[in-house]
Amino acid sequence: MTAGVVPSTAYDDLPYTRGGTVDRADVGALVQSAVDGDAAAWKALVEGLSPLVWSVVRAHRLSDADAHEVYQTVWFRFAQHLGRIREPDKAKSWLASTARHECLKVLKSLRRLTVTDDPQLLDRISEDRTPEQSFIDSEEAAAQSERVRYLWQEFEELGERCRQLLRILMASPKPGYQEVSAALGIAVGSIGPLRQRCLRRLRARLEARGAV
Amino acid sequence: MSDMNDDQNDQDADFDEEASPDEEFALELLEEELRQATAILDPVPPALRQIAVEAFALHDLDSRIAELAFDSVVDALPVRGATEAPRMLTFHAGEVTVDVELTPQGLMGQVLPPQSARIEVLSGPQAGAPLTTDDMGRFIHEASPAGPFALRLRTGEGVIVTDWLTV
Repeated sequence: MTAGVVPSTAYDDLPYTRGGTVDRADVGALVQSAVDGDAAAWKALVEGLSPLVWSVVRAHRLSDADAHEVYQTVWFRFAQHLGRIREPDKAKSWLASTARHECLKVLKSLRRLTVTDDPQLLDRISEDRTPEQSFIDSEEAAAQSERVRYLWQEFEELGERCRQLLRILMASPKPGYQEVSAALGIAVGSIGPLRQRCLRRLRARLEARGAV
Repeated sequence: MSDMNDDQNDQDADFDEEASPDEEFALELLEEELRQATAILDPVPPALRQIAVEAFALHDLDSRIAELAFDSVVDALPVRGATEAPRMLTFHAGEVTVDVELTPQGLMGQVLPPQSARIEVLSGPQAGAPLTTDDMGRFIHEASPAGPFALRLRTGEGVIVTDWLTV
Protein backbone atom coordinates (compact mmCIF):
# COMPACT_ATOMS: atom_id res chain seq x y z
CA MET A 1 0.00 0.00 0.00
CA THR A 2 1.26 3.50 -0.77
CA ALA A 3 2.82 5.18 2.25
CA GLY A 4 0.72 7.97 3.70
CA VAL A 5 -2.46 7.05 1.84
CA VAL A 6 -5.20 6.28 4.31
CA PRO A 7 -7.47 3.61 2.86
CA SER A 8 -10.81 5.07 2.02
CA THR A 9 -13.72 3.98 4.16
CA ALA A 10 -16.20 5.80 1.97
CA TYR A 11 -17.84 2.59 0.77
CA ASP A 12 -18.35 1.07 4.15
CA ASP A 13 -21.54 3.05 4.60
CA LEU A 14 -23.07 1.84 1.37
CA PRO A 15 -25.76 -0.86 1.60
CA TYR A 16 -23.00 -3.23 0.64
CA THR A 17 -23.18 -5.32 3.75
CA ARG A 18 -26.81 -6.08 3.17
CA GLY A 19 -26.23 -8.30 0.19
CA GLY A 20 -29.53 -7.83 -1.64
CA THR A 21 -32.40 -10.23 -1.21
CA VAL A 22 -31.01 -12.52 1.49
CA ASP A 23 -29.57 -10.39 4.26
CA ARG A 24 -28.01 -11.64 7.44
CA ALA A 25 -31.15 -11.67 9.58
CA ASP A 26 -32.98 -13.57 6.81
CA VAL A 27 -30.16 -16.06 6.53
CA GLY A 28 -30.21 -16.67 10.28
CA ALA A 29 -33.97 -17.25 10.22
CA LEU A 30 -33.78 -19.51 7.16
CA VAL A 31 -31.02 -21.59 8.74
CA GLN A 32 -33.13 -21.96 11.87
CA SER A 33 -36.16 -23.08 9.85
CA ALA A 34 -34.05 -25.53 7.88
CA VAL A 35 -32.66 -26.95 11.14
CA ASP A 36 -36.26 -27.53 12.18
CA GLY A 37 -36.83 -29.51 9.00
CA ASP A 38 -38.26 -26.89 6.64
CA ALA A 39 -37.17 -27.99 3.14
CA ALA A 40 -38.46 -24.76 1.57
CA ALA A 41 -36.17 -22.74 3.83
CA TRP A 42 -33.25 -24.91 2.75
CA LYS A 43 -34.14 -24.37 -0.87
CA ALA A 44 -34.29 -20.62 -0.31
CA LEU A 45 -30.80 -20.78 1.20
CA VAL A 46 -29.51 -22.71 -1.80
CA GLU A 47 -31.12 -20.32 -4.26
CA GLY A 48 -29.95 -17.23 -2.41
CA LEU A 49 -26.41 -18.27 -1.57
CA SER A 50 -25.38 -20.51 -4.48
CA PRO A 51 -24.00 -17.61 -6.52
CA LEU A 52 -21.71 -16.67 -3.63
CA VAL A 53 -20.38 -20.23 -3.30
CA TRP A 54 -19.98 -20.53 -7.06
CA SER A 55 -18.15 -17.20 -7.26
CA VAL A 56 -15.69 -18.22 -4.57
CA VAL A 57 -15.02 -21.48 -6.40
CA ARG A 58 -14.63 -19.73 -9.76
CA ALA A 59 -12.36 -17.11 -8.25
CA HIS A 60 -9.92 -19.89 -7.43
CA ARG A 61 -9.64 -21.03 -11.05
CA LEU A 62 -10.31 -24.71 -10.57
CA SER A 63 -11.07 -26.94 -13.54
CA ASP A 64 -14.77 -27.28 -14.32
CA ALA A 65 -14.83 -30.77 -12.82
CA ASP A 66 -13.09 -29.67 -9.63
CA ALA A 67 -15.28 -26.59 -9.37
CA HIS A 68 -18.40 -28.75 -9.57
CA GLU A 69 -17.09 -31.09 -6.90
CA VAL A 70 -16.05 -28.37 -4.50
CA TYR A 71 -19.40 -26.64 -4.87
CA GLN A 72 -21.13 -29.90 -3.92
CA THR A 73 -18.80 -30.63 -1.03
CA VAL A 74 -19.50 -27.18 0.42
CA TRP A 75 -23.26 -27.70 0.33
CA PHE A 76 -23.02 -31.26 1.65
CA ARG A 77 -20.95 -30.04 4.54
CA PHE A 78 -23.33 -27.16 5.15
CA ALA A 79 -26.29 -29.58 5.28
CA GLN A 80 -24.35 -31.82 7.61
CA HIS A 81 -23.32 -29.02 9.97
CA LEU A 82 -26.68 -27.27 9.88
CA GLY A 83 -27.88 -26.96 13.46
CA ARG A 84 -24.33 -27.12 14.71
CA ILE A 85 -23.26 -23.81 13.22
CA ARG A 86 -22.75 -21.49 16.15
CA GLU A 87 -23.73 -18.25 14.46
CA PRO A 88 -26.45 -19.00 11.90
CA ASP A 89 -26.65 -15.37 10.78
CA LYS A 90 -23.04 -15.70 9.62
CA ALA A 91 -23.83 -18.66 7.38
CA LYS A 92 -22.73 -16.66 4.32
CA SER A 93 -19.26 -16.19 5.75
CA TRP A 94 -19.24 -19.85 6.80
CA LEU A 95 -20.01 -20.90 3.22
CA ALA A 96 -17.50 -18.50 1.70
CA SER A 97 -14.74 -19.61 4.03
CA THR A 98 -15.53 -23.31 3.63
CA ALA A 99 -15.46 -22.91 -0.15
CA ARG A 100 -12.13 -21.12 0.00
CA HIS A 101 -10.51 -23.77 2.16
CA GLU A 102 -11.79 -26.58 -0.01
CA CYS A 103 -10.51 -24.81 -3.15
CA LEU A 104 -7.07 -24.29 -1.64
CA LYS A 105 -6.93 -27.95 -0.69
CA VAL A 106 -7.87 -29.15 -4.15
CA LEU A 107 -5.26 -26.85 -5.68
CA LYS A 108 -2.69 -28.18 -3.26
CA SER A 109 -3.45 -31.83 -4.03
CA LEU A 110 -3.29 -31.10 -7.77
CA ARG A 111 0.08 -29.47 -7.35
CA ARG A 112 1.27 -32.62 -5.59
CA LEU A 113 0.04 -34.89 -8.33
CA THR A 114 1.07 -32.92 -11.39
CA VAL A 115 4.32 -31.27 -10.54
CA THR A 116 5.24 -30.06 -14.00
CA ASP A 117 1.86 -29.06 -15.40
CA ASP A 118 0.13 -25.88 -14.49
CA PRO A 119 -3.44 -27.13 -14.05
CA GLN A 120 -4.84 -23.62 -13.94
CA LEU A 121 -3.34 -22.78 -17.29
CA LEU A 122 -4.64 -25.96 -18.89
CA ASP A 123 -8.08 -25.37 -17.51
CA ARG A 124 -8.40 -22.00 -19.10
CA ILE A 125 -7.92 -23.45 -22.53
CA SER A 126 -10.52 -26.14 -22.04
CA GLU A 127 -13.05 -23.78 -20.54
CA ASP A 128 -16.56 -24.38 -21.78
CA ARG A 129 -18.10 -21.39 -23.48
CA THR A 130 -21.54 -22.73 -24.26
CA PRO A 131 -23.59 -20.21 -22.26
CA GLU A 132 -21.93 -17.46 -24.23
CA GLN A 133 -22.73 -19.09 -27.54
CA SER A 134 -26.37 -19.57 -26.68
CA PHE A 135 -26.55 -15.95 -25.65
CA ILE A 136 -25.11 -14.82 -28.94
CA ASP A 137 -27.84 -16.69 -30.79
CA SER A 138 -30.08 -13.71 -30.50
CA GLU A 139 -29.17 -11.19 -33.16
CA GLU A 140 -30.70 -8.29 -31.31
CA ALA A 141 -28.40 -9.03 -28.48
CA ALA A 142 -25.35 -9.05 -30.74
CA ALA A 143 -24.10 -5.59 -29.86
CA GLN A 144 -24.66 -6.13 -26.18
CA SER A 145 -23.04 -9.52 -26.30
CA GLU A 146 -20.01 -7.95 -27.96
CA ARG A 147 -19.74 -5.60 -25.01
CA VAL A 148 -20.23 -8.42 -22.52
CA ARG A 149 -17.56 -10.46 -24.23
CA TYR A 150 -14.82 -7.88 -24.19
CA LEU A 151 -15.75 -6.83 -20.68
CA TRP A 152 -15.21 -10.45 -19.71
CA GLN A 153 -12.01 -10.66 -21.73
CA GLU A 154 -10.51 -7.62 -20.04
CA PHE A 155 -11.61 -8.91 -16.67
CA GLU A 156 -9.87 -12.23 -17.30
CA GLU A 157 -6.69 -10.41 -18.23
CA LEU A 158 -6.48 -8.58 -14.93
CA GLY A 159 -3.82 -9.67 -12.47
CA GLU A 160 -4.61 -12.52 -10.15
CA ARG A 161 -5.58 -10.51 -7.08
CA CYS A 162 -7.93 -8.24 -8.97
CA ARG A 163 -9.49 -11.03 -10.95
CA GLN A 164 -10.11 -12.96 -7.77
CA LEU A 165 -11.60 -10.07 -5.83
CA LEU A 166 -13.85 -8.97 -8.67
CA ARG A 167 -15.05 -12.52 -9.33
CA ILE A 168 -16.28 -12.68 -5.73
CA LEU A 169 -17.86 -9.24 -5.88
CA MET A 170 -19.70 -10.28 -9.05
CA ALA A 171 -21.80 -12.79 -7.13
CA SER A 172 -25.46 -11.90 -7.17
CA PRO A 173 -26.67 -10.51 -4.84
CA LYS A 174 -23.57 -8.48 -4.15
CA PRO A 175 -21.74 -10.05 -1.19
CA GLY A 176 -20.87 -8.03 1.89
CA TYR A 177 -17.28 -7.30 2.88
CA GLN A 178 -17.49 -9.89 5.67
CA GLU A 179 -18.18 -12.60 3.10
CA VAL A 180 -15.51 -11.29 0.74
CA SER A 181 -13.06 -11.34 3.61
CA ALA A 182 -13.99 -14.95 4.42
CA ALA A 183 -13.79 -15.93 0.76
CA LEU A 184 -10.32 -14.53 0.20
CA GLY A 185 -8.73 -14.56 3.62
CA ILE A 186 -8.00 -10.82 3.48
CA ALA A 187 -8.83 -8.08 5.98
CA VAL A 188 -12.18 -6.33 5.61
CA GLY A 189 -10.41 -2.96 5.66
CA SER A 190 -8.34 -3.76 2.59
CA ILE A 191 -11.29 -4.72 0.40
CA GLY A 192 -12.63 -1.22 -0.37
CA PRO A 193 -9.31 0.20 -1.56
CA LEU A 194 -8.47 -2.95 -3.51
CA ARG A 195 -11.89 -2.99 -5.13
CA GLN A 196 -11.49 0.61 -6.23
CA ARG A 197 -8.05 -0.01 -7.64
CA CYS A 198 -9.18 -3.10 -9.53
CA LEU A 199 -12.26 -1.46 -11.02
CA ARG A 200 -10.11 1.48 -12.11
CA ARG A 201 -7.67 -0.87 -13.79
CA LEU A 202 -10.49 -2.60 -15.57
CA ARG A 203 -11.90 0.72 -16.71
CA ALA A 204 -8.49 1.85 -17.92
CA ARG A 205 -8.26 -1.35 -19.98
CA LEU A 206 -11.68 -0.75 -21.49
CA GLU A 207 -10.74 2.85 -22.26
CA ALA A 208 -7.57 1.69 -23.98
CA ARG A 209 -9.80 -0.42 -26.20
CA GLY A 210 -12.03 2.56 -26.85
CA ALA A 211 -14.84 0.79 -25.09
CA VAL A 212 -16.22 2.97 -22.35
CA MET B 1 1.13 -17.27 -13.57
CA SER B 2 0.02 -13.68 -13.82
CA ASP B 3 1.49 -12.58 -10.53
CA MET B 4 3.73 -10.20 -12.38
CA ASN B 5 0.66 -8.44 -13.67
CA ASP B 6 -0.44 -4.92 -12.98
CA ASP B 7 -2.27 -5.47 -9.72
CA GLN B 8 0.98 -6.25 -7.93
CA ASN B 9 2.15 -2.78 -8.70
CA ASP B 10 1.13 -1.24 -5.42
CA GLN B 11 3.06 2.00 -5.73
CA ASP B 12 0.72 3.06 -8.52
CA ALA B 13 -0.67 6.12 -6.76
CA ASP B 14 -3.14 6.98 -9.53
CA PHE B 15 -5.19 3.95 -8.64
CA ASP B 16 -5.21 4.62 -4.91
CA GLU B 17 -6.60 8.14 -4.74
CA GLU B 18 -10.01 8.41 -3.24
CA ALA B 19 -12.75 8.37 -5.86
CA SER B 20 -15.02 11.38 -6.35
CA PRO B 21 -18.74 10.63 -6.00
CA ASP B 22 -19.03 10.74 -9.80
CA GLU B 23 -16.21 8.31 -10.28
CA GLU B 24 -17.49 6.04 -7.56
CA PHE B 25 -20.83 6.01 -9.34
CA ALA B 26 -19.11 5.03 -12.60
CA LEU B 27 -17.22 2.25 -10.84
CA GLU B 28 -20.45 1.00 -9.28
CA LEU B 29 -21.97 0.85 -12.75
CA LEU B 30 -18.99 -1.06 -14.08
CA GLU B 31 -19.23 -3.50 -11.20
CA GLU B 32 -22.92 -4.00 -11.86
CA GLU B 33 -22.21 -4.55 -15.54
CA LEU B 34 -19.66 -7.20 -14.59
CA ARG B 35 -22.25 -8.84 -12.36
CA GLN B 36 -24.64 -9.08 -15.28
CA ALA B 37 -21.92 -10.43 -17.56
CA THR B 38 -21.22 -13.10 -14.97
CA ALA B 39 -24.86 -14.09 -14.82
CA ILE B 40 -24.69 -14.67 -18.59
CA LEU B 41 -21.23 -16.18 -19.02
CA ASP B 42 -20.66 -18.06 -15.77
CA PRO B 43 -23.90 -18.74 -13.88
CA VAL B 44 -24.34 -21.46 -11.28
CA PRO B 45 -25.04 -24.60 -13.37
CA PRO B 46 -28.71 -25.53 -12.74
CA ALA B 47 -27.90 -29.22 -12.25
CA LEU B 48 -25.48 -28.32 -9.47
CA ARG B 49 -28.03 -26.11 -7.79
CA GLN B 50 -30.45 -29.02 -7.86
CA ILE B 51 -27.91 -31.29 -6.18
CA ALA B 52 -27.50 -28.69 -3.44
CA VAL B 53 -31.28 -28.57 -2.96
CA GLU B 54 -31.37 -32.35 -2.61
CA ALA B 55 -28.48 -32.23 -0.13
CA PHE B 56 -31.04 -31.32 2.52
CA ALA B 57 -31.35 -35.09 2.99
CA LEU B 58 -27.89 -34.99 4.57
CA HIS B 59 -29.23 -32.86 7.41
CA ASP B 60 -29.30 -35.30 10.29
CA LEU B 61 -29.10 -34.20 13.89
CA ASP B 62 -29.09 -37.76 15.21
CA SER B 63 -25.70 -38.71 13.88
CA ARG B 64 -22.40 -37.49 15.23
CA ILE B 65 -19.86 -35.78 13.01
CA ALA B 66 -16.37 -37.20 12.89
CA GLU B 67 -14.23 -34.14 12.30
CA LEU B 68 -11.26 -34.17 9.98
CA ALA B 69 -8.20 -34.03 12.24
CA PHE B 70 -5.46 -34.88 9.76
CA ASP B 71 -5.27 -34.64 5.98
CA SER B 72 -1.95 -35.44 4.35
CA VAL B 73 -2.67 -32.93 1.58
CA VAL B 74 -2.54 -30.16 4.16
CA ASP B 75 -0.69 -31.53 7.13
CA ALA B 76 2.09 -33.63 5.62
CA LEU B 77 5.21 -32.48 3.84
CA PRO B 78 5.11 -33.46 0.17
CA VAL B 79 7.46 -36.30 -0.68
CA ARG B 80 9.56 -35.44 -3.70
CA GLY B 81 8.93 -37.80 -6.57
CA ALA B 82 6.18 -39.66 -4.74
CA THR B 83 3.40 -38.39 -6.95
CA GLU B 84 1.17 -41.35 -6.25
CA ALA B 85 1.51 -41.22 -2.47
CA PRO B 86 -1.76 -42.24 -0.83
CA ARG B 87 -3.86 -39.56 0.80
CA MET B 88 -4.13 -40.18 4.52
CA LEU B 89 -7.10 -38.92 6.49
CA THR B 90 -7.95 -39.12 10.18
CA PHE B 91 -11.35 -38.29 11.62
CA HIS B 92 -12.32 -38.00 15.28
CA ALA B 93 -15.74 -38.27 16.91
CA GLY B 94 -15.33 -38.36 20.65
CA GLU B 95 -13.42 -41.53 21.52
CA VAL B 96 -13.79 -42.98 18.04
CA THR B 97 -11.08 -42.48 15.43
CA VAL B 98 -11.42 -43.35 11.74
CA ASP B 99 -8.22 -43.66 9.70
CA VAL B 100 -8.56 -43.71 5.92
CA GLU B 101 -6.01 -44.23 3.16
CA LEU B 102 -7.01 -43.26 -0.38
CA THR B 103 -5.14 -44.59 -3.41
CA PRO B 104 -6.04 -44.71 -7.11
CA GLN B 105 -7.01 -48.35 -6.49
CA GLY B 106 -9.49 -47.69 -3.72
CA LEU B 107 -9.71 -46.94 -0.05
CA MET B 108 -8.83 -48.81 3.09
CA GLY B 109 -9.15 -47.85 6.69
CA GLN B 110 -9.71 -48.74 10.28
CA VAL B 111 -12.09 -47.78 13.05
CA LEU B 112 -10.38 -47.33 16.43
CA PRO B 113 -10.74 -48.58 19.08
CA PRO B 114 -11.16 -51.76 17.01
CA GLN B 115 -14.83 -52.62 16.59
CA SER B 116 -17.10 -53.94 13.91
CA ALA B 117 -19.19 -51.41 12.06
CA ARG B 118 -21.24 -51.12 8.93
CA ILE B 119 -19.93 -48.41 6.67
CA GLU B 120 -21.28 -46.56 3.65
CA VAL B 121 -19.02 -44.74 1.19
CA LEU B 122 -20.98 -41.60 0.36
CA SER B 123 -20.63 -39.38 -2.68
CA GLY B 124 -23.84 -37.42 -2.22
CA PRO B 125 -27.24 -37.48 -0.53
CA GLN B 126 -28.10 -40.92 -1.94
CA ALA B 127 -27.17 -44.16 -0.15
CA GLY B 128 -23.55 -45.16 -0.60
CA ALA B 129 -21.73 -48.41 -1.30
CA PRO B 130 -22.01 -50.67 1.80
CA LEU B 131 -18.97 -52.15 3.54
CA THR B 132 -18.46 -54.17 6.68
CA THR B 133 -15.38 -54.01 8.85
CA ASP B 134 -13.60 -57.06 10.21
CA ASP B 135 -13.33 -57.59 13.96
CA MET B 136 -10.35 -55.28 14.08
CA GLY B 137 -12.40 -52.47 12.56
CA ARG B 138 -10.55 -52.68 9.24
CA PHE B 139 -12.30 -52.09 5.94
CA ILE B 140 -11.44 -52.07 2.23
CA HIS B 141 -13.31 -50.63 -0.74
CA GLU B 142 -11.99 -51.52 -4.18
CA ALA B 143 -13.04 -48.40 -5.99
CA SER B 144 -11.41 -45.03 -5.70
CA PRO B 145 -13.79 -42.31 -4.59
CA ALA B 146 -13.82 -39.21 -6.79
CA GLY B 147 -15.44 -35.92 -5.97
CA PRO B 148 -17.33 -35.24 -2.75
CA PHE B 149 -16.62 -37.96 -0.22
CA ALA B 150 -17.74 -38.97 3.28
CA LEU B 151 -18.16 -42.16 5.28
CA ARG B 152 -21.22 -43.05 7.32
CA LEU B 153 -20.52 -45.55 10.10
CA ARG B 154 -23.05 -47.51 12.06
CA THR B 155 -21.35 -48.64 15.25
CA GLY B 156 -22.67 -50.11 18.48
CA GLU B 157 -22.92 -46.58 19.83
CA GLY B 158 -24.86 -45.00 16.99
CA VAL B 159 -24.29 -43.34 13.64
CA ILE B 160 -21.16 -41.33 12.85
CA VAL B 161 -20.64 -39.39 9.61
CA THR B 162 -17.23 -38.02 8.65
CA ASP B 163 -16.73 -34.46 7.51
CA TRP B 164 -17.26 -34.06 3.79
CA LEU B 165 -14.25 -33.38 1.63
CA THR B 166 -13.28 -33.42 -2.05
CA VAL B 167 -11.03 -36.19 -3.36
